[in-house]
Amino acid sequence: MMRGGGLACALLIACGSASTDPRWQPSPNKTPRAGGTLHLAMEFDVNSLDPLVAADEVMLYFTHALFDTLVTYEPSTPDDPRAGLAFRPGLATAWTISDDGLLYTFTLRPALAYSDGTPVAAADFVWMLDRQLQKPGSAIGAMLLDIAGAPEVVAGTASHARGLVAPAPDTLEIHLARPNAALLGILAMPAATPQPHGREPDRRAPLGTGPYTLESWDEGERVVLRKNPRHWDAAHVYLDKLDFLENVPRDLQFLKFQRGEIDTAEHLEAPDALWLAVQPAWAPYVRTGQTLQSYGSRMNVTVKPFDDVRVRQALNYALDKSHSVRLLQDAAVAAHGILPPSLAGFNAHLTPYPHDPARARALLAAAGYPDGFDIDYVVMANDEALRLAASLQADLAEVGVHVHVRSEAFATFLPELMSRTGPPFAKATFGFDFPDAADAFDLQFGTAGIADEGTSNLSFYSNPTLDALLAVARAERDPATRALLYQQAELIVYVDAVWLWDYHQKAVEVVQPYVADYQPHPVWIRDYAHTWLDLGPDGEPVPRAAP
Amino acid sequence: MLRRVTWIFARRAAVVGGILVGGVLLLAVLAPWLVGDPTTPHIDHGLSALGGPLPPSSTAWLGTDDLGRDEWARVVTGGRISLLVATLATLAAMVIGTGVGVAAGLAGPRIDGALMRFVDLVLAFPALLLAILLAALLRETGLAGSLAPVVITLVLVSWTTTARVIRTRASALARSEAVLAARALGATPWRIATRHVLPGVGDVAIALAAVTFAQMLLVEAALSYVGLGPPPPAATWGRMLYEGRAYYRSAPWLIAAPGVAILVSVIGFNLLADGLRARRGRR
Repeated sequence: MMRGGGLACALLIACGSASTDPRWQPSPNKTPRAGGTLHLAMEFDVNSLDPLVAADEVMLYFTHALFDTLVTYEPSTPDDPRAGLAFRPGLATAWTISDDGLLYTFTLRPALAYSDGTPVAAADFVWMLDRQLQKPGSAIGAMLLDIAGAPEVVAGTASHARGLVAPAPDTLEIHLARPNAALLGILAMPAATPQPHGREPDRRAPLGTGPYTLESWDEGERVVLRKNPRHWDAAHVYLDKLDFLENVPRDLQFLKFQRGEIDTAEHLEAPDALWLAVQPAWAPYVRTGQTLQSYGSRMNVTVKPFDDVRVRQALNYALDKSHSVRLLQDAAVAAHGILPPSLAGFNAHLTPYPHDPARARALLAAAGYPDGFDIDYVVMANDEALRLAASLQADLAEVGVHVHVRSEAFATFLPELMSRTGPPFAKATFGFDFPDAADAFDLQFGTAGIADEGTSNLSFYSNPTLDALLAVARAERDPATRALLYQQAELIVYVDAVWLWDYHQKAVEVVQPYVADYQPHPVWIRDYAHTWLDLGPDGEPVPRAAP
Repeated sequence: MLRRVTWIFARRAAVVGGILVGGVLLLAVLAPWLVGDPTTPHIDHGLSALGGPLPPSSTAWLGTDDLGRDEWARVVTGGRISLLVATLATLAAMVIGTGVGVAAGLAGPRIDGALMRFVDLVLAFPALLLAILLAALLRETGLAGSLAPVVITLVLVSWTTTARVIRTRASALARSEAVLAARALGATPWRIATRHVLPGVGDVAIALAAVTFAQMLLVEAALSYVGLGPPPPAATWGRMLYEGRAYYRSAPWLIAAPGVAILVSVIGFNLLADGLRARRGRR
């Protein structure tokens, strides 16, 4: 048996090591070159290209390419984790904010047009933001409630928010009822893109202002975007097309990448990441970056045993976060809360709960669970989540908490997670819509985020002190003071152990040698606005010279 | 008896099969004393600096898996679960299949026809698809979390072959002179079945059992591979194959170990079945 195993190993190693170095290399040409198609793949399918609906991070691959917004973000760089979080002009060339923080005035770029040639007017923004408020369950309606008159539109007693004003075709004014320092971030979301006044956004026929426009969509199979020649910055958009394959599992993506069928592979499965880590020939083409993703486990604080803060703290002490980081091949950092280290408000004085099983057992005993308890734990059905769940299961078993892991497909997992009657203990993720602490705190820990179905506050945590603090922080315009307020908020949810905090993941992506100026972006995740293909004079990738 | 035993040993295939099966069974039975805990992850010591599985070494003969667990311990313990499931399922399938086969062979054409059409109906479904459907449905019941859904599924998809083969033999026996004589003497159907027919189909049943057992191992592995086997962290060969599949390049021992284990066991049981069949042929 051993001999047979050894032989099989040897055979597999022999097959596996055949010609796996990059097949191409960059050309000596260092100036961006226009033309070509970037081939990509994604794990899920596209459900909608309607900016009223499509707001999750998967749809962001498309919505960011199709829909420009008033303000946008700087490109990210490999060295600076905060790069990519700073605002820069988008469809607006300039904006002013009144001293009381209640009036935002945007000046639009001259001669803006949609991809079909229709001119963009300030009234288009008013139309779209009103639609976001009118539509129940819209992408960002709930984030716009500080705009004067917005609550009436949401309630259905008005069709237009009086705070949205277009005094001239190139001027947009937004009057707020209460200051909201996060407004620019909200307006940078693709959901705040303009749509021609009176045109209802369409799921399959997006009309946008972004660098790309939809060419074809074979649902469930492939989405092809092509360059929008009417984009305001078209001179710096180099690719002719973006060709996305839908529903390609991550391990298959990597195989396709190696065969040269796709040009980038992101969020690698552990075996592929491990393999890549020991391939020096690929090292120059691995791109890493910060993400604004936080991972942990929700504990429904309204049901036993999680209604006792000591139980929640005990679990935080029981979980060894270093195990999660290890199982993610170090492409993660241990978390003490929901804010990634690069965001303002991150409390650097806090450290993740140390792994302390003795303390966990003492807390459980004090809470009335000296022998621990049995609990179901629900995760999404993928290898990475199951591996991490197995590690969590072992860590918690050490303190007497017996976890029964159950995995669910994404389609059933999400509604369960967002329901009050769903599993009290489940893997939870928060992906930031915009790089601001307000996004996470208002949605995850504010009382307003609680709903019986479709809750954004996954732990059903309600704390009037925190709510009051968040209201002050949202209105605070001085960035330093605001950061201090969120640090206080972090301390509250840290001590209350609202989640079982776990880790913040880093982005790891590998690209073909001819893919230039491509870097994972903390907000946009995939940002190909200025990517170009570094091909040879014949328009083909340059074959790799023998080392 | 001695002559039979000598005869089996004369057949090389049966001997090799017997040794393989015996070895696998011995390891499975002795697993708790031979190896350590196969289910608890060892993230700190069982993984490489990069967080990947460790290759075979003197401390972990077959390396470690993606959670740092000893692969040898998992293969041996996995054999325990796989063989237990296959044994239970084979026994149940043999009992049901033999019962139905004998009943059909002895009963009149109407009962025989009804039973065999039902068998045809079950056989008409692709076995693996049926198994996946059943396993998925049974997991929704209160039995989820135990081995029961897998065992029940395996029984339900595999008793039919036995029933068919046994029925052919039983109906031949039913027309034999011994059975006619017994009938003439007023023997009850029960007596005929237990005294005259069952002993006659016994050798077929044993050979069938060995083949069925090998198939059970494969179907169990397939079910575990698609996530419908015994729930994790239990080690089963199919699940180990599934969990190791993506590591074919960075940690090939993760598919080699359970793959070879399945191969050896299935070959062992098939060789044994061949030997048993050959013995029957000679008699």
